[in-house]
Amino acid sequence: MKKLILVATLMMISVAMFAQSGKSIYKKYSDCEKVSAVYISPAMFRLIGQIPDLEVEDESINLTPIIKSLKGLYLINSENPDIRESVIKDVERFVDSDDYELLMEAKEEGEIVRIYTVGNEQTVKGFVMLALEATELTFICIDGEMARDDLDATFAKMMK
Amino acid sequence: MKKIKDIENMDWEALEQAAGTSQANVPADLESSIKAAILASEAMAEKQPATRRLPARAFYGFAFAAALAAVITVGVARQRPLQDTFDDPLLAYAEVQKTFRQISDKMNVGLELASEARTTAEKPAEILKKINE
Repeated sequence: MKKLILVATLMMISVAMFAQSGKSIYKKYSDCEKVSAVYISPAMFRLIGQIPDLEVEDESINLTPIIKSLKGLYLINSENPDIRESVIKDVERFVDSDDYELLMEAKEEGEIVRIYTVGNEQTVKGFVMLALEATELTFICIDGEMARDDLDATFAKMMK
Repeated sequence: MKKIKDIENMDWEALEQAAGTSQANVPADLESSIKAAILASEAMAEKQPATRRLPARAFYGFAFAAALAAVITVGVARQRPLQDTFDDPLLAYAEVQKTFRQISDKMNVGLELASEARTTAEKPAEILKKINE
């Protein structure tokens, strides 16, 4: 009986380890064909934050305050139809398992955009965007401790 | 001495006759050797039990090993560090900016759609308002 419980526990641990995250999705698909991928590490974000005279092309979208609160950026852009469904499933599994909330869903002319966030009223700990076009797919995952007000203000400025 | 080809062409009767007339040297201890061989094979058969079923313990052991192997494999795979796409922080910053721009563009599409929907929803209310006036 003890062994059975131990086996069940190990099975559960292994299932938990197979659970999706932005990092695991990036690792899984970044080397696939017709995929362009970008990863920015927490160390690089710290480095960006330390640059004293960061020249910003467009002053209205200065991201330096928010950059310091970022811990990782994973971007997958795929035009590979073979992995499309698999990526969508993995992203759905990821947002479901991590209690992400659907912030926005827009469907227009065959394009679907879904944006999810996780955190609380003050802080956004994770931001995920999945954009599906006819032949293209974009997955963006940003981890960090972003102040929700700062993030909203940044996007509001950019959307003007 | 007959050749093999001749023996092959002989019928059963001829073969029996040839066997009866020929003098073959039979070893004196042949019978005892055959009996000993039979007894030995019987003894071996008694020692080896019939097909044995694997106990449940073996299954648990196998499942335990498989689960442990899965945990170790995934653990090792997860430890593989990721390589930064950019070495230059300025390039990394430019990419972050581009990504935020991409997100805001997509959000804009959603907000435009919401705005259009609101306008459409407000029209019947305006009509009703004019009728009431």
